[in-house]
Amino acid sequence: MPEPEITKIEVGDGAAIPSPDDRGLVSAWWIALLGAIGLLIALPLIKPDPYLRILKFVPDGILITFEVTVLSISLAIVIGLLTGLGRISRNRFINLAASLYVEVVRGIPLLVQLFYIYYALGRFVRVPDLVAAVIAMAFCYGAYMGEVFRAGIKSIDHGQTEASLSLGFNHRQTMAYVILPQAWRTILPPVGNEFIALLKDTSLVSILAVADILRRGREYASESFNYFETYTMIALIYLLITLVLSKLISIMEYRLSHYERR
Amino acid sequence: MNAADPIIRLHKINKSFGTFRALTSVSLTIAAGEKVVILGPSGSGKSTLLRTINRLEPIDSGTITIDGRNLNDPGEDINRIRMEVGMVFQSFNLFRHKTVLENLTLAPIKLKGMARGQAEALAMVLLDKVGMGDRASHYPIQLSGGQQQRVAIARALAMEPKIMLFDEPTSALDPEMINEVLEVMVALAREGMTMAVVTHEMGFAREVADRVIFMDAGAIVEEGTPTDFFTSPKTPRGQQFLKQIL
Repeated sequence: MPEPEITKIEVGDGAAIPSPDDRGLVSAWWIALLGAIGLLIALPLIKPDPYLRILKFVPDGILITFEVTVLSISLAIVIGLLTGLGRISRNRFINLAASLYVEVVRGIPLLVQLFYIYYALGRFVRVPDLVAAVIAMAFCYGAYMGEVFRAGIKSIDHGQTEASLSLGFNHRQTMAYVILPQAWRTILPPVGNEFIALLKDTSLVSILAVADILRRGREYASESFNYFETYTMIALIYLLITLVLSKLISIMEYRLSHYERR
Repeated sequence: MNAADPIIRLHKINKSFGTFRALTSVSLTIAAGEKVVILGPSGSGKSTLLRTINRLEPIDSGTITIDGRNLNDPGEDINRIRMEVGMVFQSFNLFRHKTVLENLTLAPIKLKGMARGQAEALAMVLLDKVGMGDRASHYPIQLSGGQQQRVAIARALAMEPKIMLFDEPTSALDPEMINEVLEVMVALAREGMTMAVVTHEMGFAREVADRVIFMDAGAIVEEGTPTDFFTSPKTPRGQQFLKQIL
């Protein structure tokens, strides 16, 4: 009997994660990676002023960008899991609440949400800019992630649930021991996509006085008037980071798929 | 336990899917240790009937009693009852992310609180019994259909159920793999397990069944010993069914 195909979910606007058989993308990945590294090394060597100065000034922001990204994605995964479970819940109230959240968030531009949450929060509590930024990013990406989780859970064959129930597991145990561990495998590529998309979108928080990569670049550029050179370096830094991340994620994906290989 | 004690008692079960009446006032009792084979054309409700026994298919009306416990009683924990009713599916449904051994140990460890070592020892005994002891560390995808189904039977047995339900266990198998699964089922029957089997394998029904149930259009049309049913079916629909399959 032929094995059923594993469902692949394609969601999100993150950098493409090349599958090993996609020759075109794999070579594009190498060219882009070597190009980015090459330029990041060559430009400062050829023209230390301003490229080397930029390279010394901007990286302080990399840590902040990563901090915002990792905190936001962690929170977004938790929110996304709850939302995804809510979206498939048979409890009508929970289902409606989760669906409403997704609809509202998807309908408002991220930048508007960022401003809104930042200033709305500011009316009631005084929180550090970084915390406000993380909450806003997580709130938004939690909704996207919710759809990813929902699709991942739904992609698992119903027979798995029936087998688990027939052994005496309740619905919650079935989710925890049988469905989610398998859904995770299906979910990982789109979650990786969201991770990379989120990392890129954190550049929006530079508007909220959070000193990420882009903010550092803007500060440098407005003092030195080297706009073109600064944004060249910033673009290369983002590109290098997302290329490396997409590779790491595809390696992780391969590791997690061990039980799918004959 | 006395062989005459009914361990499964279905009384006037009704079940509809939308406007389609899948089961119409079906009553059936199965004694402890009895092997019942349910036959019938496709769409006759035989799988639905089997699946009501462990409430994978909720019923619209009627009562189901398993080992003296009423499935409809809200105070009754359905999960505890399901632990005592093993089920084998047409599509095997092994947990794809678990090895063969883990497929067998998951439920005993998590549901019965069995120690891992004890659960694994029990699992190995069962795997040897179904001839799969040498595949304990394989993943389901690495096994043939017949092998997967034998593991699925062992997985159900790992909970040490009192009843085993088989829902067309060989229908998804290539012909050359059917016998290896049937042999395991025959051996299980010899050990005295209470079994309810939906199947198209008439040879199995003849050899193993104490009683054959013939269903059509959501109702039990005829029941009797395999000899009676296969040699002289009483109803026209039974006669017609046998003419088509033999």
